[in-house]
Amino acid sequence: MIWFVIILTGVINFTFRLSMFSGFRKIYVPAALHRYVAFVPASVLCAIIASSLVTFDGQEITYELEKLAAASVAVACALLTKSVAATLIVGLVTVWIL
Amino acid sequence: MNRTEFFLGVTAMMPLLLGVIPFGLVFGVLGVASGLSETQTILMSSIIFAGASQVVFAQLWATGSAYLIIGSSVALINLRHVLYSAAVSEHLKKLSFKWRVILAYLLTDEAFAVSIQRFNTHGDSRPVHFFMFGAGSSLWIAWQISTVVGVIAGSTIPENWELAFAIPLTFIAVVVPLLKNLPTMICALTSSLIAICGQSLPWNSWILFAAFGGILLGALTEKWNYSR
Repeated sequence: MIWFVIILTGVINFTFRLSMFSGFRKIYVPAALHRYVAFVPASVLCAIIASSLVTFDGQEITYELEKLAAASVAVACALLTKSVAATLIVGLVTVWIL
Repeated sequence: MNRTEFFLGVTAMMPLLLGVIPFGLVFGVLGVASGLSETQTILMSSIIFAGASQVVFAQLWATGSAYLIIGSSVALINLRHVLYSAAVSEHLKKLSFKWRVILAYLLTDEAFAVSIQRFNTHGDSRPVHFFMFGAGSSLWIAWQISTVVGVIAGSTIPENWELAFAIPLTFIAVVVPLLKNLPTMICALTSSLIAICGQSLPWNSWILFAAFGGILLGALTEKWNYSR
């Protein structure tokens, strides 16, 4: 079943990539799609970042202070360096030290 | 084969590989840590071949999400490729179907970014599809190798290294440079809040609620800003 999901998502992704230059017919991207798609990466990735730092179940807020601190350091590092490798290393080292 | 264009593409991609390789390593390590087999992790890099979405796949798989949630989240993240596809198609109209299939497969954020520049400046005078082929295939090779290395390394890394924490860290590196205007910040804030509060929703569906909530509020803020 997991193979099915991997292959199906692969096929969907390939279809997206081929969609506009398949040559089968002329398709236009609706302007609204441009507007919404621009927000997809920020939206999905922030959801994952936030949920791995803090959770709230209606009564209790759960978080680890070390991870919040490390994430803040990583944000600063990303702002300064814009580098995946540097941000990753600085963040991990911070969480190891604390 | 136009070697000049091909190698120009490879050269243009080189600096971007500095960001791609650590990402591939992280995916290799986390893929296995999330419970996927080594084969599944390695082959996912060539079947899906889209960095952030593969890490999201592994993350959602590790937390036992429903297949439909995993599939739709991955598809949502990759929807941007439709836009890239539209932008490059303008310049590659005359190619054979075989070339279109190859270039479509190699179409990633990075390959798009370097190729579209070349297309805009030299699209009429040079066989620029070789440029995109060079850029795309060098990224592909780097992505496959770094995944394999990550998978091998992953089995030797001790658990107390907190490697699962590499997922949010990697995403922080990707997201922070995107947050440069109010609509994107509103989008990020909305999706974060929904994700934090929605953890008890069934099948990990919080990811989709958070994603759509963020997109909607981001787009609405932009529209409101624009119409003011």
